[in-house]
Amino acid sequence: MHSKIFIFGYGKHGKSIARGLLQEGHRVTIIESNEKQYEDAKEDGFIDCLLMDVTQDSKLEALMVEKGDQLICVMDDEHLNVFLTLSLRPLFPESTLLAISDSIHASQKLQMAGADCVIDLYDSAANRIHNLLKRPTVTRFLDSVFEGKGGIVFREIVIPRGSFMDGMLVDDIDFSLHKVLLIGMVDFELGEHFVFITSGEEHRIDHGDHIVCLGLDEDLDKFETLILDEGELL
Amino acid sequence: MVWFNRLFLGVAKSLNHSKYYKDIKKYFDDILNDTENPTKKYIDLLMIFFIISSVVILVYGVENQVPKWLDFYDLYFVSVVFLVEYLLRLWVHTDLFRLVLDEEKRAHFLETDFSLSRPMKRALKRTLEYMLTPAMIIDFVAIMPILREFRILRVVIIFRLFKLLRYTRSINQFIEVLKYKQFELTLLLILLAFVMTAAGIAIYLFEVHVNPNIDSFFDALYWALITIATVGYGDISPVTPEGRVVSMIIIVIGITMISFATSVIVSAFSEKLIELKENQILGQLNRGEEFLLVCGYGQMTKMFMRREETTRHNYIIIEKNKERYLQAVKDGYNAILEDASRHDALMKFKIQHSKTTILCLINSDIENIYISLNAKSISPEIRVIARASNASMIQKFKRAGVNDVLLPDMIASMMMRVAISRPHLYKAAHAIFAGKDIAVLDEIRLFHGDGLVGKRVGEIDFRKMRLLLMAVERGGEGEFLFNPAADEVLRENDVLILMGYRIGLEHFKDHYDESI
Repeated sequence: MHSKIFIFGYGKHGKSIARGLLQEGHRVTIIESNEKQYEDAKEDGFIDCLLMDVTQDSKLEALMVEKGDQLICVMDDEHLNVFLTLSLRPLFPESTLLAISDSIHASQKLQMAGADCVIDLYDSAANRIHNLLKRPTVTRFLDSVFEGKGGIVFREIVIPRGSFMDGMLVDDIDFSLHKVLLIGMVDFELGEHFVFITSGEEHRIDHGDHIVCLGLDEDLDKFETLILDEGELL
Repeated sequence: MVWFNRLFLGVAKSLNHSKYYKDIKKYFDDILNDTENPTKKYIDLLMIFFIISSVVILVYGVENQVPKWLDFYDLYFVSVVFLVEYLLRLWVHTDLFRLVLDEEKRAHFLETDFSLSRPMKRALKRTLEYMLTPAMIIDFVAIMPILREFRILRVVIIFRLFKLLRYTRSINQFIEVLKYKQFELTLLLILLAFVMTAAGIAIYLFEVHVNPNIDSFFDALYWALITIATVGYGDISPVTPEGRVVSMIIIVIGITMISFATSVIVSAFSEKLIELKENQILGQLNRGEEFLLVCGYGQMTKMFMRREETTRHNYIIIEKNKERYLQAVKDGYNAILEDASRHDALMKFKIQHSKTTILCLINSDIENIYISLNAKSISPEIRVIARASNASMIQKFKRAGVNDVLLPDMIASMMMRVAISRPHLYKAAHAIFAGKDIAVLDEIRLFHGDGLVGKRVGEIDFRKMRLLLMAVERGGEGEFLFNPAADEVLRENDVLILMGYRIGLEHFKDHYDESI
């Protein structure tokens, strides 16, 4: 992974996000304006920690943000979070801005401030309740997938140039042979949005496309090496 | 007599043990007295029809010749129906056999001779007490037209109108509200009686035989009431200066009393309004088979309720804070002002009988745990989904018996991690979780006799229907058969997890029997 991840705020969300990302092997930089939480981050073993006043543009500008880096706004103070998003957007137009919204009203403001992706705490929780009530089995299934129980996981694979899949139609590939399920893909010919396999449209897989598969971890490993190997061979 | 006693005891015993007899009695008790019984509504409507038709016939008959069959219907059929109802009420009210058996037990214990007279007397006393309640007296009078002698007193049929009270809830509620202000209203009535009598006596002393219209004390009382009520027909009016002074005084008193009475009744209604509304919602709710109790009306609940599908549910919001309660009502939701952590608050709902789910979405772990325990203590069958503030609380919630613990912070953090490291998967997951139309993940449970039972997975052309069979849950919770092979045979109680477009899935759910 070349892109860096900047996490603004080491509070209730920042903590668990940063730890999770560190475990997955990402390069994480933590920026805090609160001294105590800054110390917490250092204690928890984060090397790249910065203590700064995030309301000052000159200090934000000094950050080594490159194109494609991800900026995560998860300050505990909802107002500060919106302000920060608004300040970061013009400074780093080529980075992805993500934010967590702690209240119904903040979601819209964060979006207006220019966040690329806003995760609404209440919205996602409400969805979950809804799913628990309406589709209990599906929820259990998704839980076990996201928690990694039973070895079934989602995986996103980028098709390399020259892979055996490059140029094939989705319908012509027998995924069941590899014991994986294709959920959908991002077909860059059609734009950047995610297309579900069940949409019923014909899709040609080209190099550079992202496919999302579901399967047993080891089957996915085999599948991925198959795609990548042939990609390198040719 | 001994043999009669024995025989009676035997009958009592066998009937008391007969499930059939008890069921019938319970059934009639329910349709007559249980306001939440679904059949009662229709019985009530039928009775209301009888009453109204009977009164209409009475009024019509004053100036017109009523056809014979209609007369027969009114005097015999309706009366017999009322009689049967009356007898049934008496029957279900007192359990004579229970009393007889209790007496036998008592006699056995005290080693005295068993005699029927004691339980008979007690049963009679109870029945008589019951017969003397206002509602039962009205019922009794309403039957009277069945007797030839009473037919002259056609006015008796008016009593049938009072029977409406039994069958209409709104009139009952009106009386309930007035009862709530019983003290004030009684006071007012006594005051009225006092002023009326005093004024009556005064005018009687001043004007009897002086005024050509006042011949008796009754005339005087009549005049007093008409004047106090500010009606003033004018058929009797004072002629002496003393009489006029009396009327001036009582008119002023009358106006005060009328406004006092009005304000008492209005305030009674405004104070009871919330309760009346709640009763109505509760009645509606308790008729349903399954329902959803949402505790607290905070941000979480608002967000949850915004998903329009939930409003189709049989649900209610319980909020103890009056401001938030009013907000919920204003937003158009069913809500009651109640503290869900109180035992009797939850007991208002018939939660132990039906399929109930309780959502504890209050922004406080302590309260959520308390409510969960409260619900579980009423019935462990109740499904509880509770919100927790952080992961360290999960253990506590689980110990309280909560079925699903919800961690909004953790869900958001997890989603964020996915969004950062696997952005495209995030889009997919978000669409699935939010139940967007393009990607619905749904489940189909196979029951006995379903068309799909016994089929091989390969036989069903999911692809043609643009569906993706992700997994099959088999053998209870959490055992998933992921991506089942084509030769896997589907069994009873399997749950299929399918992904697809909403329309495609709904079509499949409705038509899979035919499509194979």
